[in-house]
Amino acid sequence: MGPARPYALVLLAFFTRCALALWPIPRSLVGGTTPVKLSPSFSIDLGDVHDPPADLLAAASRSRSRLDSDRFQRLVLGRGASDTGAIARAHTLHSVSLALCPGSLVRSIADETNKPIDSKSESYELWIPTNDTRAMLTANSTLGLLRGLTTFEQLWYDYGGVKYMLDGPLRIVDEPAFPYRGFSFDTSRNFYPVSDILRTIDAMSWVKLSVLYWHIIDSQSFPLGIPAFPELSEKGAYSLDEIYTGDDVQRIIKFANERGVDVVVEMDWPGHTTAISSAYPEHIACASKSPWSKYASEPPAGQLRIASPSTLSFAQTLFASVAQMLPGTMMSSGGDEVNLPCWEEDEQTKADLARRNITIDDALNEFVQTVQGVIVEHGKTPFIKSDMVLTHNAPVVDDTVVVVWQKSEDATAVAQRGLRLIHQPSNYFYLDCGGGEWLGNDVLGNSWCDPFKTWQRAYSFDPYTNLTIQQFSLVLGGQMPLWSEQSSPENLDPIVWPRLAAGAEVFWTGATLPDGLPRLNTNATASTHALARLNELRYRMVDRGVNAIALQPKWCVLRPGECDLES
Amino acid sequence: MKLLALAVLLATAYSPVLALWPQPQSIETGSSTLRLAPGFQITVTGHGVPGDLLAAVGRTKKALFSDKLGRLVVGRGAADAPTFAQAKSLSRLTLTLGKGASFASITSEAQKAPEDRDEAYHLVLPADGSGATITANSTLGLFRGLTTFSQLWYEHGNTVYTVNAPVTIQDAPAYPYRGFMLDTARNYFPVDDIKRTLDAMSLVKINQFHWHAVDSQSFPLVIPGFTDLSDKGAYSSEQVYTVSDVRDIVSYAGARGIDVMVEIDTPGHTAIISQAHPDFVACAEASPWATYANEPPAGQLRFVNPDVTSYIGDLFSAAVKLFPSTMFSTGGDELNTKCYDIDEPTQSALNASGSTLEQALDVFTQKTHKVLEDKGKTPVVWEEMVLVHNVTLSKETKVIVWISSENVKAVVEKGYKLIHGASDYFYLDCGGGGWVGANPSGNSWCDPFKTWQHAYSFDPVANLTAEESKLILGGQHLLWAEQSGPQNLDPVVWPRAASSAELFWSGPGGNASAALPRLHDLSYRLRQRGVNAIALQPEWCALRPGACDLTA
Repeated sequence: MGPARPYALVLLAFFTRCALALWPIPRSLVGGTTPVKLSPSFSIDLGDVHDPPADLLAAASRSRSRLDSDRFQRLVLGRGASDTGAIARAHTLHSVSLALCPGSLVRSIADETNKPIDSKSESYELWIPTNDTRAMLTANSTLGLLRGLTTFEQLWYDYGGVKYMLDGPLRIVDEPAFPYRGFSFDTSRNFYPVSDILRTIDAMSWVKLSVLYWHIIDSQSFPLGIPAFPELSEKGAYSLDEIYTGDDVQRIIKFANERGVDVVVEMDWPGHTTAISSAYPEHIACASKSPWSKYASEPPAGQLRIASPSTLSFAQTLFASVAQMLPGTMMSSGGDEVNLPCWEEDEQTKADLARRNITIDDALNEFVQTVQGVIVEHGKTPFIKSDMVLTHNAPVVDDTVVVVWQKSEDATAVAQRGLRLIHQPSNYFYLDCGGGEWLGNDVLGNSWCDPFKTWQRAYSFDPYTNLTIQQFSLVLGGQMPLWSEQSSPENLDPIVWPRLAAGAEVFWTGATLPDGLPRLNTNATASTHALARLNELRYRMVDRGVNAIALQPKWCVLRPGECDLES
Repeated sequence: MKLLALAVLLATAYSPVLALWPQPQSIETGSSTLRLAPGFQITVTGHGVPGDLLAAVGRTKKALFSDKLGRLVVGRGAADAPTFAQAKSLSRLTLTLGKGASFASITSEAQKAPEDRDEAYHLVLPADGSGATITANSTLGLFRGLTTFSQLWYEHGNTVYTVNAPVTIQDAPAYPYRGFMLDTARNYFPVDDIKRTLDAMSLVKINQFHWHAVDSQSFPLVIPGFTDLSDKGAYSSEQVYTVSDVRDIVSYAGARGIDVMVEIDTPGHTAIISQAHPDFVACAEASPWATYANEPPAGQLRFVNPDVTSYIGDLFSAAVKLFPSTMFSTGGDELNTKCYDIDEPTQSALNASGSTLEQALDVFTQKTHKVLEDKGKTPVVWEEMVLVHNVTLSKETKVIVWISSENVKAVVEKGYKLIHGASDYFYLDCGGGGWVGANPSGNSWCDPFKTWQHAYSFDPVANLTAEESKLILGGQHLLWAEQSGPQNLDPVVWPRAASSAELFWSGPGGNASAALPRLHDLSYRLRQRGVNAIALQPEWCALRPGACDLTA
């Protein structure tokens, strides 16, 4: 589905004239110059969808109410005052009709979202006519219809209560370049109430992100309430109020799935597990051992006793208990930052290794095979962190997805092993970098992944760098993570938004803009290009109650092009 | 400093759980548990107690029971509960002015010149439940004592208590100017955001709000007689500070021991004035902006034009009426001479008069400052007016160093009183990357991010003689708002701005590692009060002081 080459010149003119406030920008888009407005009685018509599922009806209802409640005005001087003439003569739309392509099965958005990552259908076509009162949105799945509705919502500006756009007729043919477009969220270093997670998921859906990768537990706290192991959270959570109960988890997953967001839970093992020691000290080596820096990447130290058969069995049962809670087809066993001295100095581990006549590497391999086995048994695709593959050479099942995190260059080595991967490199995508040191007694310390990763930096990422064409298919997409050592509900929105949207466009739009030009041309971050649209997204997000930060003084926002470096 | 060092040592040795910020100059504590009685009262002795002190008493009484700050230890105070039954109850705090002192409002005490403010207080909290006392020689001192008192308490299971009674505190600030600067021109902040910020400032005894109200990007300040500036220069008709908004902010601040110093930055940073008065502004929105300004849009006052000079004098004169502070900042930073090189009216005026640009700047500065001085105001300027330009300033002029802390010495060598605000320590906006478009790998000019630890490590008198050190009034954190707005105001400011609050109250030399647990306490208390202070560490670390130190 390449861009419509014959229209490239027209589109170029179109983009410099007035950028549509779409983010991510569709793969293919052809617009005109006729103003279009929505009738006050505008309706979203599902009549052509046989027996529409409840979550599609709900999505249509949300879109309809946003068409009213979004008060987003054009980011130009006068905020649309100069459009009043255009609005007066604008073509009026009375409805948008949603339809599935012939032969498509009608399933719920949630069911479509929970399909295997490489078999989801998110494509859609949207037609905004100027010679008919009915717009058309068609797709092969309800998930595609959701994506199209999301685009439809972003088309409209408000002026004096009238919702209008200037670019009719408009045809959009769209589908993501990569199926995996994620946000990795750490709820262990500091806790986030359910409402914060739901707001974040909602905002993710506005930029068509497809996966919440939930780093739910870690060494610092164990907020996951597991019905079969209640003491883990009762003793390992920060407090009894800071727990995601089984019901919370189901509610979050349902909320996400209905918005086209799949949820991948990460149980980051065998490292990052100290919090388990509160309830099960027998399973954790070097728990809170000092100096922590010898035994862990950050305090507190502590790892599962992988050489112990009883710990292995515990891990297997616990993993299965969590896997049963999850409807999705993906699950991660993490595996990053394991520390060898922790085990080498642990008397019980030493004894277990000696008794079983195995090495730490053997034990680690056995552990990885065991937890991956549980994931596979539950019909899910296993995810694992890249150092487990690249540093420890752990044997992983063939369809494992490797999360490349340490640096972007690691993607090449992972691909060379023939493994599928998602990009999460700290040198492009870590949202937490640049806030300074959080460890105590390190006055002049910086964060390990300095500097701050700007949206421009994330946007400059090329998912195919240093890969051969044959390896391209191994790239499922990528995600930006928020590690929460220095984050909490207090700064969640400002630290995530709008930067996370940069990653969303990298992996939805891919290498080519709808005008046929490379996304990463030299003007990508110019305010007449991506920046103008990102400013629009930011203002729309603020309008919808998400505290996305200002990227520029408003003076610049209202004058695209005047605050560029060379302006 | 020896006394201070001893006090800090005592505090850390004997009272590891006191959540005070800033650290008092001298404090003695015990180890008894003391509870606040449910009917706890605060009384002020004497007649003619000013309304703002009574209001502060009311707010404090409410906060004592609404803060609900659990001790930052594992279990959050559960281990303290067994001591509650035996603990004495405190039923009264009495505030008393020292002999010979008479009541004046907190507001009027706070609005005095920094050098004249009396913020000292003496606080006694007996362990036996007999009445606690705060004495001071001013209502402002009583108010500072109340703030300290409100930080003495934790809550567990609806019991408000301390485990460190008795407490005796003798306290006064090391520096009289402890500020916070907010730029409301690059992006607009609603009045409520400013008030919430003032509340947080007050909690850490910051006494100066430096309000960078207007700039080249927008003019949100409504000044009677000059309303065309905000009519045409504000981002929208809603994004203005009306006269009643300003009065509201000034009085809200005053009642919380905070003076409001407004800044109308001249002659640079004035492009927006061209919306209402195009004739007054040279190189307005000239391109390329980078040649004519440090950031877009370009535009500076045509100060060579006498009409412009008298207009700005009149503007200052009108603005002064809104702000009772003794100080008024006229700015003076980042003047770009290339802007005037291409400005025909400026060049022909210079040719006609035979004066240089610098001479004209001197005339402009003297005339506009005279307007302020005639009204009893002290002009405050950015460092370039002393270090770069050859202009005549009154010796009373106060100078803010912003470009680099290395410029401090040069300013005090010229004999000016100085306020620290150096970008290499105190700029809250650094480290967020470039905000200018089409600059994909651009970083913010003042990279990296300035951590609280870095600000805390600042020495206000580094390389200064004892005489020069006397010219240091204090300092402040600053938030320039190119990349900030109401959405991230709290997280970008708090708790970092508290580090300079303690630096300039308690004095330099504090140990950041020892301070961290108290800063956690402050951050958690701020959150309890609705201020979105960021997490400094995982909560695991906050509950285990020292366990997340680099070498722990």
